[in-house]
Amino acid sequence: MNEALYWPAQRQRNRGLYGLFAVVLAFVALYAYLFPGLLSVAGVSKFAQSWLPLALVSMAQAILMLTGGISLAIGATVSLGAVIAATTMTGPLGVPGGIVAVAAAGLAIGALCGVIAIRLRLPAIIVTLAASFIIAGAALLILPRPGGAIPGWFSDLLAGNTPAALILLVLVALLWKLYLATPLGLSLYAAGENPVGAYRAGVPVDAARIMAYALSGLLSTLAGLFIAAQTGSGDPVIGQAFTLNSIAAAVLGGVGFLGGRGTMRGAIAGSLLLSVMINVMFFLGFPPVAQYVAQGLIIIGAVALPEISRWRRAV
Amino acid sequence: MKDAKSTRFPPWLPAALLRNRAILTFMIVVLVWIVAGLAKPGFGSYGHLRYLLELAAVIGLVAIGQTYVVIAGGIDLSVGAIVTVSAVGVPLVALSGDSSGVIAVLFILAAATGIGVLNGLGVAYLRIHPMIMTLAMATFLQGVLILIAGGTAISAQNPLLAWLGNARVIGIPASVILWTLASAMALFVLHATPFGARLFALGANPVASALSGINVRTNTMAVYAVSGLTAGLAGVLVLGMNGQGYVGIGDPYLLASIAAVVLGGTSILGGSGTYAGTIPGAILLVTITALITVVNASAGWRSILFGSLILLLLLLSGRDSQRR
Repeated sequence: MNEALYWPAQRQRNRGLYGLFAVVLAFVALYAYLFPGLLSVAGVSKFAQSWLPLALVSMAQAILMLTGGISLAIGATVSLGAVIAATTMTGPLGVPGGIVAVAAAGLAIGALCGVIAIRLRLPAIIVTLAASFIIAGAALLILPRPGGAIPGWFSDLLAGNTPAALILLVLVALLWKLYLATPLGLSLYAAGENPVGAYRAGVPVDAARIMAYALSGLLSTLAGLFIAAQTGSGDPVIGQAFTLNSIAAAVLGGVGFLGGRGTMRGAIAGSLLLSVMINVMFFLGFPPVAQYVAQGLIIIGAVALPEISRWRRAV
Repeated sequence: MKDAKSTRFPPWLPAALLRNRAILTFMIVVLVWIVAGLAKPGFGSYGHLRYLLELAAVIGLVAIGQTYVVIAGGIDLSVGAIVTVSAVGVPLVALSGDSSGVIAVLFILAAATGIGVLNGLGVAYLRIHPMIMTLAMATFLQGVLILIAGGTAISAQNPLLAWLGNARVIGIPASVILWTLASAMALFVLHATPFGARLFALGANPVASALSGINVRTNTMAVYAVSGLTAGLAGVLVLGMNGQGYVGIGDPYLLASIAAVVLGGTSILGGSGTYAGTIPGAILLVTITALITVVNASAGWRSILFGSLILLLLLLSGRDSQRR
């Protein structure tokens, strides 16, 4: 890698995201103004805890969208992760065994979806739709109603008064950077941008895509694990809202549907915007219902903004 | 040179039937009905099949708009919310002088079409991706509905709804008649009018269709308007069959409509397909659900069965071989 090209390349990637970063900063500033407690280690830790699950699922969705795929099974996978965590961690496997079980389930489910969608050449949107029913059913079989338990010390470690969530998020982002430097990671963008050209150039297109599905499943179940630690128990339908929110966050972050367009930092910024927005509306005393209305309007506004400013320039 | 006729009209082969996705899906439905009818005596009775068709009518109506939108290269994730708007809205706008309920229904159908036009405006003019535009619209509508209607069920009593829900004309339910008429119209518009041809062009290649003089924006708005209208019509039908509307009543129809469209052989990527395949697709979905209920499994197993069957049917009929 040429050192001299690194920063110009990064600047090129940030292009088009400055508007989003500005909106995110404005919302964070508003949030900090409404809730001065945010500007402390404890405040940031607490906020990171409410943000982490959404950030993880947005990354899960963004990886797939970068390769030209999409998943409607994210929410169900999150639920499954939470349920597995809540049933295994107090059992003979213990906490480490539980984490391994959750991670293995995520990787396996993701890889299976990937193999079906990629190898059998079926449309991803409908494969993951069907998969969402199967995964949700499995979660209901493991835990028919909310229950199970997470050891108290583990909940305190992840979701107590520690900055664990923030550290985890930074760690995941760093791991993503590392993954992008591996052959499969490098193939990710190529496989999404121009699969035929990439294939002819010797890029392992199918392997890169299936790996993206596996990683997406892993991130989703880990988000479920964190939610289980937060609530101290498992709920077989807790993840439902994440499917749509993960798509919204990724698209807010400038990740395109056709593959090869967008950056992970954009998706993470998009998830930050959604989470801050929800918190700000909560602080302003919006009823939960009005939040739906505002959320719908803000998503449309944020996505339409570049197009409207393009009209301005054209006039 | 050989006889020109034989190249233009290839000889009829049984295999050609299997390659036609609409007929293939229809044959799967017939097969499932025969097998289920032999295995479970009550299943094949006229009353039960008629009941299945009544249920399929709602999905089928929603799927008209969904088929149009998908063929034109988009997707409409707000149909579930629009069904709810219509099912909750009709009782809310019931006017004192309007005893038949016709005006309320027409008003709500216009409103549903208006919501579709708004979707189309966002997609065509603001260039928002259809999935995001319609998703945001669904979120927005959900909020508005809860604000207006709250969590309670609202019942509606008027002759038109009662007729739609319960009437039988020479033994055929009114909902099935409505679905048949709507299907005939949908097929005619899709395959025998310039508008229908433009939808296929838009879905296959929007840039080429714009260059060849198609007004992309107007047609995009029109297709989402159709989707709003048919979802609204389905909502009226649901209200008539249920007798009451509540927030969330339309949610199951979103995924069902997409599944029906894809099972019917319409490419989710746009540009090819037909509503003729969606019709057996909708019936197939309802049949699967009914079969799973018969099995008497727990909620988890029912969900797993449903998902697996959709995957299996997709493997049988939905190979998207033309993907890039």
